[in-house]
Amino acid sequence: METLDHLMAGLAAALTLQNLAFALAGCIFGTLVGVLPGVGPSAGTAILIPITFNLDPAGAIIMLSAIYYGAMYGGTITSVLLNVPGEAASVITCIEGYQMARKGRGGAALGIAAIGSFIGGTVAVLALVVVAAPLAALALKFGPPEFFALMLFGLCLVTGLAGRSLIAGILMTVGGLLISLIGIDPTRGVPRFTWGMPELYDGLGFIPVVMGLFGIGEILSTAEKPYREIVRTNLRDVMPSKEEWKASVGAIWRGTGIGFFLGLIPGVGAIIPTFMSYILEKRISKHPEKFGTGLIEGVAGPETANNSYANAAMVPLLTLGIPSSPTIAVLMGAFIVNGLTPGPFLFTEKPILVWTIIASFFIGNVILLILNLPLVGLWAKILEIPYQYICVGTVLFCMIGAYSINSSVFDIWVMLGFGVVGYLLRKLDFPLAPAVLGLILGPPLEKSLRTSLEMSAGDFSIFLSRPITIVLLVLSVGVLVVSALNPAPAQLREASDD
Amino acid sequence: MKRGWIVASIAFLALFCVTVWESTSYALLDELGPGPGFFPLWLAAIGAVLSALLILETARGPADPPEATLVPDREATFRVLAVIVMMGVGAALLEWLGWRLTALIVTGALLPALGARSPIAIGLFVLAASFGVFHIFYYWLKVPLPIGTFGI
Repeated sequence: METLDHLMAGLAAALTLQNLAFALAGCIFGTLVGVLPGVGPSAGTAILIPITFNLDPAGAIIMLSAIYYGAMYGGTITSVLLNVPGEAASVITCIEGYQMARKGRGGAALGIAAIGSFIGGTVAVLALVVVAAPLAALALKFGPPEFFALMLFGLCLVTGLAGRSLIAGILMTVGGLLISLIGIDPTRGVPRFTWGMPELYDGLGFIPVVMGLFGIGEILSTAEKPYREIVRTNLRDVMPSKEEWKASVGAIWRGTGIGFFLGLIPGVGAIIPTFMSYILEKRISKHPEKFGTGLIEGVAGPETANNSYANAAMVPLLTLGIPSSPTIAVLMGAFIVNGLTPGPFLFTEKPILVWTIIASFFIGNVILLILNLPLVGLWAKILEIPYQYICVGTVLFCMIGAYSINSSVFDIWVMLGFGVVGYLLRKLDFPLAPAVLGLILGPPLEKSLRTSLEMSAGDFSIFLSRPITIVLLVLSVGVLVVSALNPAPAQLREASDD
Repeated sequence: MKRGWIVASIAFLALFCVTVWESTSYALLDELGPGPGFFPLWLAAIGAVLSALLILETARGPADPPEATLVPDREATFRVLAVIVMMGVGAALLEWLGWRLTALIVTGALLPALGARSPIAIGLFVLAASFGVFHIFYYWLKVPLPIGTFGI
C-alpha cells in the first residue's frame, strides 16, 4: 500500500510540465544518440550529463534515463537501415531487420520494434514497481561482506562474457579498478598515485574516462571507416500486417520475460537478453531454416527483450547500487554527480525522488512510442547527414562534456588520452566493458573489502562464514570457470562492450 | 593482431609493475586494518601476473593470417590523426581563446580534413558550432564555457 502511495506521488511529480519536458528531451536526445553512428549509449549519456547540471536531481535523472532507453530504441533504426547496430544490444536485430528492409518491410520492422519496446519496457517497469521496494528492504540487511561478494559477482559476469580471452577480460577489470583508486584514499586521507598533481587528488573523472574510451574511441574508429550504405525501403507503412502481428505477439511476451529476468542480474549486460530471445525464437519456430531471411519475430523478440532489460536493469542500480552495464554505470555516475547515491538507502531517504524517477519510466515509454511510430522516416533522414559533420559535432560535444564537469581543460586531456587508448584497445579487440564497470565499482568494492577485514580483524574467513557471501563467491568462481571452458560466441563478444 | 596483443600485454605488464612498486610506498596495514596500499598492491600484482600469462598465451597461439593488418590505409590514418591533433589543439587553446574562437578553429580545420567540401555548409556549421553552441550552453543551459583573453 505504501509503495502504491509513493508511486502515485511519484507519478504526479513526473507528470509536471517540467518533468514531462525533461523526459521528452531525453527521449529525443537518446533516439538521436542511438541513430548517430559513432556514439553509443554509454558515451551519449556521458556526453549529455553536463546539460543536466542546472536541473534539479529528479529532472536530471529523468532526462538521462530517457536518453538511455531512447538510445536503446534509436540503435534499432541503424540496424535495420544500415545493417550497422547503433548500439551493441541491436546487433542481433541486424540479422532479420536488415533483410526485412531489403524486402521493402523496413517500416514494419521498425514499427514492431517500437511496439515491442513499448510493451517490454512498460511491463518491466510494472514488475520493477513490484520488486524494487522488497529488494531494497532485503539489501538493507546486507553488510560489507555481502556487498563485496555481490559486486565481485557482477564484475565476474561482465568479465566472463566479454572478450575473446578471459585473461584479457580480467586484466581490463583490474585496470579499471586500479584507475578508480587514483586520488585521495577515502578512509585514510592519503593521496594515492597522484604524483604530486593536484588535478589527480579527486581522482580521474569517471565521465571523461568513459567519454574517451567509448565516445572518442568510437569517433576515431568511425573516422577510419566512415562510408556506409543506407538501404532504400518503405518507411511509410510502419504497422505490421496481420500475419506479421500473429508471428510477433508470442515473441514480444517471451522477450519481455527474458529481458526482465536477465535485467535483474547485475553484470549480465544488454546483449545477452537479445541473443537469448533470438535463439529461443529460432528454436521454437516451425521453420527455423527461414531465420536470417527477414522474419519479423526475429526483430520483435530481441527488441522487446532489449527494452525490457533496459528498464529492469534499473532494479540492481536502484536497490543495490550496482550497475549492470557500462551505460548503467554512467547513469550511476550521473546519480553521484547529482548528489544521489543509488542503493537501498535511496528508497528510505528520498522515496518521492526514487518513485518519481520510476514513474517517469512509464511516461518515457509512452513518449518513445509516440516519437518513433510516426517519426521513423525523420529519424532515418538523420542517417543521411554526412559523417564529417556528425563526427565534428560529437567531438565538440565531448569537449564541452569533459570541460564543464570541473571547468578544467585537464579533463579534456584525460578524455583524449583515454580516447586514443580506447581506439587502440578496440582495434585489438580488448573488451572495454569490464574496465568501465571496474572503474565505477572500484571505490565501493575497496571500501566494502576493507570494512569487512576491519570487522574481522584482518581475517579473510569472514567471507566464508556468511551464507549469502558463500553463494555469491561460489557463483563468481563458477562464472569464471564456465567462461574459461566455454568462451562466449564471437558475435556476442564483439557486441558486449555497450 | 598477435603482435599487437603482445605489445599491449607488455605495456600492461610494465604499468602493473610500476603500480606494484608505487603501492609498496603506501601502508599495507595499519592499526585499523588494511591500509591504503593493500587493495592496489593486490590488484596490481594480479594484473602483472595476468599480463605475463597473456603474453605467454598470445605467443603460443596461432599466427595471424598474412592479410591481417591493424594499420589503416594512409587516408584513414590521416583522418584519425586529424581528429586527435585538432582535439589536442582545442584543449590547448580553449582557456586562452575561449570556446567561440577555439570551436571556430577546430571545426574550420577538421571538417575539410575529414573530407567536407561545401564551403557554405562548412561555414554555416562552423558558425553554429562556435557562436550558436556557446549561446545555447552558456546562456540557456548555464554551462560555464570559457571566455578567452579577447573577451570572446
